[in-house]
Amino acid sequence: MNTHTYLRAYLAGIFLPTLVLPLLLIFVVVRLAYHVPIPVEQMLIFPMAVVPLLWGLWNMLWLCSYPHLHQPIGLHGAVLPLLLMPMGATLASALGVLAIGSHGVVWFGVCSVPYTLIAPVFLGALAGYYLVWKYIVGFLNRVLGIA
Amino acid sequence: MSTHDEERVKELLRQALKPVESEPESSRDLWPAVLKRLDEPSIQVPWFDWTLLGCLVGLAAFFPASIPVFLYYL
Repeated sequence: MNTHTYLRAYLAGIFLPTLVLPLLLIFVVVRLAYHVPIPVEQMLIFPMAVVPLLWGLWNMLWLCSYPHLHQPIGLHGAVLPLLLMPMGATLASALGVLAIGSHGVVWFGVCSVPYTLIAPVFLGALAGYYLVWKYIVGFLNRVLGIA
Repeated sequence: MSTHDEERVKELLRQALKPVESEPESSRDLWPAVLKRLDEPSIQVPWFDWTLLGCLVGLAAFFPASIPVFLYYL
């Protein structure tokens, strides 16, 4: 089973983000059915289109670089938010999903994150990505025979 | 075909085909390895990872507005 290793790495990488997609689609259905005045579609562009792609490519990069660097997959995954969060914030700001206020940033028009909590949230994202990549993506890589 | 011919054919077949032997047993006992594998814990989570998970749960509990932000990046 040594063929198509990069394809398998991509599939293992996109597994978890694509599981979240049905949950996000609930918001779309609610908006269409109940005419909720929140631009859900603009919110979903990043998690539906960009995040799974980057997760798959990031796992392919891990597979490619592991013979040279021997980096643990958890640490490799924990680096991904350093790339994802600026991209997501930039896109969200351009689409009007993220607004910068005087006391903090406002996500989706309702979730206000004070500036003092941005650092803990960012560290939480790093920790979450570390755990998810170590245990879930690492498990999938072992199941698919690439780790 | 006479009885003599049948016996001759049987004899030739016995000479041509080797008797089927039972599958040879492994040179070593595999049962201790099976028991060892069964006794192994399926996954070992170090204390550091439990601490990280606890911090994440605490952050989400004390600051629920962070949950949709996390989902946005997942």
